[in-house]
Amino acid sequence: MSSDINVGRVTAVFDGRKGRTIALESVDLIVKAGSFGSIIGPSGCGKSTLLRLIAGIIPPFAGSVTIGGEPPDAIRRERRLGFVFQSATLLPWRNVRQNIQFPLDIAGRGHRSQEEAFCTELIELVGLKGFENALAHELSGGMQQRAAIARALVLKPDVLMLDEPFGALDEITRQRMNIEMLRIWAESHTTALLVTHSIAEAVFMSDTVSVMSPRPGRIISTIQIDLPRPRNLEMMRGREFFNCVNQVRDALFMREMPRPDSDSQVETL
Amino acid sequence: MQLSMTFTRVWRPAAVIITVLAATEILQRTGIGPVYIPAPSSVLEKAISSRAILLENLGPTAGRAGLGFLIAAVATFTAASLAAVFRPLYGVIYNTGAALHSLPIIATAPLLALWIGTGAQLQVTLAAMACQFPILVGTIQGLGSADAQQRELLIVLSASRAQTLRHLLVPSALPYIFAGLKVAAPSAVLGTVTAEWAGSERGIGAMMLYALFAYDTATVWLSVIATCLLSAAGFGFWALVEKLTDRTIDETEIAN
Repeated sequence: MSSDINVGRVTAVFDGRKGRTIALESVDLIVKAGSFGSIIGPSGCGKSTLLRLIAGIIPPFAGSVTIGGEPPDAIRRERRLGFVFQSATLLPWRNVRQNIQFPLDIAGRGHRSQEEAFCTELIELVGLKGFENALAHELSGGMQQRAAIARALVLKPDVLMLDEPFGALDEITRQRMNIEMLRIWAESHTTALLVTHSIAEAVFMSDTVSVMSPRPGRIISTIQIDLPRPRNLEMMRGREFFNCVNQVRDALFMREMPRPDSDSQVETL
Repeated sequence: MQLSMTFTRVWRPAAVIITVLAATEILQRTGIGPVYIPAPSSVLEKAISSRAILLENLGPTAGRAGLGFLIAAVATFTAASLAAVFRPLYGVIYNTGAALHSLPIIATAPLLALWIGTGAQLQVTLAAMACQFPILVGTIQGLGSADAQQRELLIVLSASRAQTLRHLLVPSALPYIFAGLKVAAPSAVLGTVTAEWAGSERGIGAMMLYALFAYDTATVWLSVIATCLLSAAGFGFWALVEKLTDRTIDETEIAN
């Protein structure tokens, strides 16, 4: 099951000590059911805020968010939403299996045999077999984040929110996790929305990349990525991949970067 | 392995204590030491010869301190939970705890004795008063210690308030609560002993006071040691409970 994500003219404001800050201004975003979307932008452009708005963690000041036609609060209550945070956020007093089962415990479905079987399946899917009884501090950062991904999938969500989940990992682990994430996503049939500040990661993972600009945060461009699936590292060397990366880069640096064909200054560089 | 680790941790403080005791003993034997410091051997003799009296006084003190501690713990857990759930109460509860903690027990005891008498109720009340603040601070601090993302996780999972308390706030508060309980246990003993000075038939404090008036320094020191041991036992009890409940602390981290 999957649902489309529909964000319509959403504005978000924060009331701080220095008065009101507009975090997001009139943002429109559509992620088609079952597709993989990403939001990319510099730090502080409001991309994490947008993700939290879609998840219903914070309410919008104006505009509307729907997931499969329903408001996010309803989706959360029906437990059809998974969220992976920047840090793994595992509960340190629970072992890997108990952490992955945590959403089931909260939903009151912790001890059904079919759910437990699915849990075992997920542990294998994210490659944590043999570490079921380990505590969070006994795992590497990558393994902790895998457990967090399994936890987000345990309720078989329709939509999966990924808030820079691999931002704290080293480049090598990050590429591995990207490939694994795509494999897991393909098997889970959910709609995924990734927040990242890596251009290559956004292009590699997504069907659409939405580029944001800061202060106030708004989506300035959405780029379609038509690379075939399943994706592999070989594609990252291809011309098509580079074209997409350049499109995203152009959108991100539109104001600062003179275009090669329109500006003669480039010659001197 | 376990035994040798315990030995490594214990031998240094043990060596210091033994040296000090031996030096005191030698000074007293040679007649150089002052009268108000008795030879350790005479305190030991006293402990053996008057062990019936010691136990007779130790029992009530331990009981009163324990009861006072229990009352303080229940009251502060309740107060801290209220402060965590209803923000407006936070300041009132915190400030009341701090104000009670800053009252000098030595002066409050006789005043309170006039109102509620000098029976066990006085010592229990003062024990509770003396030990409530560390538990209150620990619990309030602990209930607020879950980080923003952990809280968001519970929001994403649509957890109820009770579930959030049970599955996140209380477990993450435990290390802080145990720290509070460990600090509070000796305070309860000291509160009781001080309160016993304000007029009590039995108790380590009473024993100490009678011995002081009789210039029986060996017994005074005996009661001081008894107070220390009782305090240490209170601390040790909570340290043990903490060790048994907390499985997130790595054994190797403690050893280093």
